[in-house]
Parts: sequence; C-alpha cells; structure tokens
Amino acid sequence: MIQRLLPFVTLIALFAGLSIASPDHFLTKTNLSSVVRQTAVINLMALGMTMVIISGGIDLSVGAILAMGGLLGTMAMEKGLPIWLGVIAGILAGSLCGLVNGLLTTRLRINPFIVTLGTLGIIRGTTLIISNGLPVHQIPQAFSFLGEGNLLGVPFVLWVLVACALLVHVILEHTRLGRYAFSIGSNPDAAYYAGIPVAFHTTAVYAICGMLTGLGGMIEASRLMTGQPTAGQGYELQAIAAVVIGGGSLRGGEGSVLGTLIGAFIMGLLANGSDLLGISPYLQQAIIGTVIILAVAFDELRKRKMVA
Amino acid sequence: MLLRLEGIRKHFGGVIALKNGNLSVDAGEVHLLLGENGAGKSTLMKIVAGMYQPDGGEIVWKGGKAGFRRPAEAARMGIAMVHQESLLAPHLSVAENIFLGREQRMPLGWVNRGRMLEAARRLIEEHRFPLHADWRVEKLSPAGKQLVEICRAIQHGSSLLIFDEPTSSLSETETQAVFRIVRMLRDRKMGVIYITHRLEELRSVGDRVTILRDGETVHSGPLEAITTQRIIQHMVGREIGAIYQRQPLEPGEELLRVEGLTRKPALEDISLSVRAGEIVGLAGLVGAGRTELCRALFGLDTVDAGTVKIAGRIVRVRSPREAVAEGVALIPEDRQKTGLATALPVGYNLTITDIGKVSRFGFFLDHAAEKRLAAEFASRLRIRCESPRQLAGRLSGGNQQKVVIAKWLVRGARVFLFDEPTRGIDVGAKTEVYEVMDELARSGAAILMVSSELAELLQVADRILVMRRGRVTGELPGRTTQEEVMRLATLHEGGATIAGEQE
Repeated sequence: MIQRLLPFVTLIALFAGLSIASPDHFLTKTNLSSVVRQTAVINLMALGMTMVIISGGIDLSVGAILAMGGLLGTMAMEKGLPIWLGVIAGILAGSLCGLVNGLLTTRLRINPFIVTLGTLGIIRGTTLIISNGLPVHQIPQAFSFLGEGNLLGVPFVLWVLVACALLVHVILEHTRLGRYAFSIGSNPDAAYYAGIPVAFHTTAVYAICGMLTGLGGMIEASRLMTGQPTAGQGYELQAIAAVVIGGGSLRGGEGSVLGTLIGAFIMGLLANGSDLLGISPYLQQAIIGTVIILAVAFDELRKRKMVA
Repeated sequence: MLLRLEGIRKHFGGVIALKNGNLSVDAGEVHLLLGENGAGKSTLMKIVAGMYQPDGGEIVWKGGKAGFRRPAEAARMGIAMVHQESLLAPHLSVAENIFLGREQRMPLGWVNRGRMLEAARRLIEEHRFPLHADWRVEKLSPAGKQLVEICRAIQHGSSLLIFDEPTSSLSETETQAVFRIVRMLRDRKMGVIYITHRLEELRSVGDRVTILRDGETVHSGPLEAITTQRIIQHMVGREIGAIYQRQPLEPGEELLRVEGLTRKPALEDISLSVRAGEIVGLAGLVGAGRTELCRALFGLDTVDAGTVKIAGRIVRVRSPREAVAEGVALIPEDRQKTGLATALPVGYNLTITDIGKVSRFGFFLDHAAEKRLAAEFASRLRIRCESPRQLAGRLSGGNQQKVVIAKWLVRGARVFLFDEPTRGIDVGAKTEVYEVMDELARSGAAILMVSSELAELLQVADRILVMRRGRVTGELPGRTTQEEVMRLATLHEGGATIAGEQE
C-alpha cells in the first residue's frame, strides 16, 4: 500500500522540500501558476498517452502531432477564421493524426512502436512542408488567453486540464470504451476471442490521444503566440515518462489518470525546483531520467511481492 | 543413491510453497513425482535444478551435501531439466541448441560450427532419435523440442534428468516415443524424475512414486505397491467418490449442424450435428484437426467450403464477434493466453462478453449492476474467489476455467466449443468442470468437447466423434472403450511426428 502511494508521497515531499528550500520564490502564486502552465501541455498529452498505454500501445508521434495541431490551428486564424474555429481546427488536425495512427496499427497489424515511429517522421515532415519551415506569427492577440489567461484567479489552462482529466477518467473507469481499453491492453487475444471489436476501440483510443495532443498544440501555440512547426520535439518521451512514473505499465492493462497527473507534476516540479535552486539544466535531465528508472523499479518490486 | 532431498522448505512472500519436501532417487530409476497444481512439485524440482534457493532442508547429491546457487551450477554437477514450455532458442538449429552455452570454442571466441554439427549428428545417430542436427528448432513439434532437450542432457553428461510434465502437449504416439526414450535413459543408469498430471500414463513408465500435497511429501514408495485410487486419495487428501459418470438426457432440437466443412489442409469434409442437451466428444491425436475445427466454427479461421447451421439457420461467421452474436462460445485450449485477462478482476472478465448488460445507454458502465451480475454467476458456478474484484490470475486453474465458462453464460451462448477443458486442472477440480458442463447441457446448451484424455471423453460425452488427419473417421457411442477410439484415431497412422514442418 505504501509503495502504491509512492508517487503521491514523492510529489508531496517534493512540494514540501521546495517550499522549505526556496520559500520566497517557490511558494508564490506567480511561480506555481507558471508550473501549471509549463506542465499543462505535457499533462494533456500524457492523459491521451495513458489511454494508449493502457490499451497496450504506445504513441511516439505525439510531439509531431502537437506541432501539426498548433500550426494548422494558427494558420486558420492567420487566414482570418475566428479564434474558436482555429482552436477546433487544431484539435481536429490532432484527432485526424491519431486516427491515422490507429488505422495503421490495426489494419496493417504493425507494432504501434514502429507505426508511430514512422508517423512521427511523416507528420513532422508534413508540418515542415506545409509551413515551409517558418513559424506562423499573424495571430489575434486575444488567442493568448488560452495559454496565459486567468479565470477565477487561476490559470485558464488549469480549468482545461481538470476538465480533460475528468473526461479521460470517466472514459477509462465508467464507459465501455475504457473497459475495452483495459481488456485489450491486458490480453488482446482474450479480448478478440470474447468478441470485442478490438480494431475499432484501439483506433478510437489513438484518435482521442491525438485529440488531446491537438489541444495541447493549441495551448503551446497560445503560450508562444506562434505556430511553430518545430514545436514539441521530445515531448513524447516526457508524456510516456509521466504515465510510467504514475504507475502505467508498458505491457498494457495498467494505468490511471491520477497517477499520470502526479507523474507529470513530479517532472514539472523537478524542473522548476532545479531552476529555482540554480541546478544546471544539464543535470536536470539526468535527475528526471533517474526518477523514471527509480519509479519503475519500485513498481516492479511491488508487483513481484504481490505475485510471489 | 543419486539424490536425496530432506525436509526442503521454501516460501515466496507470505505464501508457503514447500513445508517438508522429501524425495530420493537412485541411478537407473524412473521416479514419478505426483501432486495437484500448487502442491509444490515444480518448486521442489526448480530447487534441485538451482533455479530457486531453499529456505531450509538438505540436498544430498551423490553422497555429498549440496546446494546449487544457479542453474549453471546444477548443470555442471550433472542435473538437467526438460521443461513444460520449451526453453530452447527457437531460431537456432538442433545442433546449436544442444551445445547452447557450451559451444565448442576456438581461440578468439569463434564457434566451431563444423565440429558442433558433427558431434550432434553422432549423438542423434547413436540413439537413433528421429532428428536432424541442422533442423531449425522453431519448426519442431513439441515432442521434437523435448528430444532436443534430452539430447542436451545426454551431451552434457547429466546423471539426473528431470521432466516437468513433458507429455501434457503431446499426442499418444509422441508420448509413447518419449516413454521409449525414458526407458532407454534408465537402462543407461541415468536417474529420471518425472512430473505428470496424467494418471493413466504413469504405470507404463515409473518405478517408484513420490506424492506431494500442500508442500509436503505424503507418500513415497514403489509404484506397483499402490493403486491408482490410493494415489488420487493421497493427492487430494480426501476420499473422492466414485469416478464421475455423466447421466445422458433426452436431446432436444438440433442446435449445431455442420455439413462438408473444409479448410485445406487442416479440415476435410467435416459433417456433424449436436443437439441441445448433448455433449459430443471429439477425439483424435494432436494435429488431427480438432482445434482447427473449433477455430473454424468460432470464426477464427476462414473456411473453403461447407455450411454451418445454428438452430436450423445457415450462418457464416467470419470473426469471433460474429460467432458470439450467433450464440457460439469457445472455451479455448490455452486459458491464460486466449481465455482470460489474468491481470484484471474476475468481474471484468465475466462481463466482457456482454458489457451492454451492465451499461446505461449502452455506453456508461453501471458498476453496481456489474458487481451483482458477477456475484450471481460466481456463485452459480461455485467460483471460489474472495470477491469479483480479485484478479483472475490469482485463482486456481479450475476456478479460472469456470470464469471462462461463466463469461459465456453471461452472454447467453447456446453452442459451446470446449477445447481441452480440463488441461492443467487438478484431479479434484476436473469433476467440478464436468458438473458445470452437465448443468449447461441440462439447461439446453449444445456442447462439442475436444479432449486428448480418452478417459474423460468416455466419462462425459454422449457420443464420440473420432478425427484423423482433418477428417471425421468414425462415431462411437459414449460407452465405448479406449481401444476402440484409439483404433479409429490411429488407423494407418505412422510413427511420431518429430520433424514438424521442416522445409
């Protein structure tokens, strides 16, 4: 039980430690808001990744999807479409990319690691071709509200994140799609033998992951106020790390929304704390890498004890 | 005395696997190790083979106290093990596998293939094994893979060979071939420990027997001095009633009718019919096409020709999904791999076939309804679990099988295809599976049952169809004899199939 709570305890300890180590800078509204803003994008991608990983898959293309969504959304605004339509365009672009991932995985029956490694290149390349490698700058000023605005005293992205987290939680725990995702991830053959439409639901999971990533792309674009074709490089690994730190298993069938959120915030606080304490960003990467390995090692230890 | 084990203890976490394991084997003896699943047989043998470390007790090997910290250490001392699941490298050749880990090296770490191949050839020839040194192991039949493991043991000069349920995946002819080799090893003064589940086969091979129950040795002695009934009593620890014999009932309407079903090359012109309330047995050797027939009926494989009628209506199923929609259920041969999500709760596994039953608007799960439904079916099939939230993988084999059956009851299936329903299940729990099948039949289901255990087909089935090489070669009444079934199953059958499908 203690080990199951470990990610949560780590997060609390990290928070308490930073509050003591850097009381004047860490525990301020500005700093905490910026932690939320910085981690929101990874959090959204990680929520989608949670569903994919639970269903036994993996999506390495989310970083590229993020850029594609952000670029197409901002281009739509540049062409004069209203902001809300631009945001929807970005989300749709992301969903479409996810749908392609799902269809390729299920129809061609290729390992998702390979499929999304391929689409990572294809989507990134297409984004660069569409944009000619140049960022989109002509964006209405009001669009910055999505990533930088406040609602009821807290960052607007926090509301978006909470809403998406609730949505994914409800899908996973309270709908047929979620139950099928767990079943497929836990034992795809048994799921197929039970008459579950495995291909359909697997595809749906990838599409939802793409949708959340598209939304993440719009938030990223709003924070930078540019549509960057090179945005999101390496984000896929952070999203996977958040899921894994939060107890998701790459073997499928395991994972939770709460765990993933905690995982993403642990990484966010580590980055923020290192900045505040003046730890070199080079060392930060090594620290986060260590945390990933430790988290999984502890989780494996817990499971082995349970089985034996 | 080759090996003596005294008071071996071993626990995993809070679970005690062995309390008091005793066993002794002489050179030139075939020693049977019997016991129910979870009795500690495999644990005891893995301790001997250096895969686990005992918590207490004594291992005496060739007169000296011993303890093997690693499998390699035990192997060096002359102990070899043939595992239930092959531990060979599938992509390598027979010769390479025989020398795996002991390659004939030349300077600079080069492997001398030529010499290895030559040595393997000599070994195979000397024992007249139906193998070729350059065959690829992945293409061998299960019996062939076991032969390779036996070759390894001989090549490494082992003096004790442990077989962990070697025949559970073998056909009768293959089993006989393995027995012949076991007897040959005995004649060459090798010690053999043989773990098995199949009581009917043990008389033809063993000298002495040791029976484990709940981690303790409860009996040890010569095989001829003990009756099979007595062995079963030792294994289950209680008197078990007379051997189960199902009472057939008046069959109802025809639920399944197959005409001219063909899928080349596995199935040729199969015709059969099963009525409501009937249990029809499907006998035959491994590879006769019984599993393939189940797969075709369940939509897992396509068919080339033939018709299938369910309750009088012609249906074409092209996927399990369509089969399920027609009321067909498959209880697959390999429970853990295709029947259950072992890492998910029992409840999830029960409702997965018909999640709509516990959903609102067909989408949102109704957890309370799900819990009720799971509890209802768990008690109806007497599934022993703490709660529907317990993970399916934690249940015993028999209870896991009942979960697989129950999920089809939840769905309301009427045509049941049972493929080896009691494989790997305890003697005591087998009867419970038969009783569940009987209840199913009584409630109007039609059951087709594949089994490689003839004794069980004779106990349970109303009629027995015998398959050979993709064809139904005969039909026998339920009260026939084993000899009659074997005659039809092996008609003009050649020797054991060791080669598999080598190109």
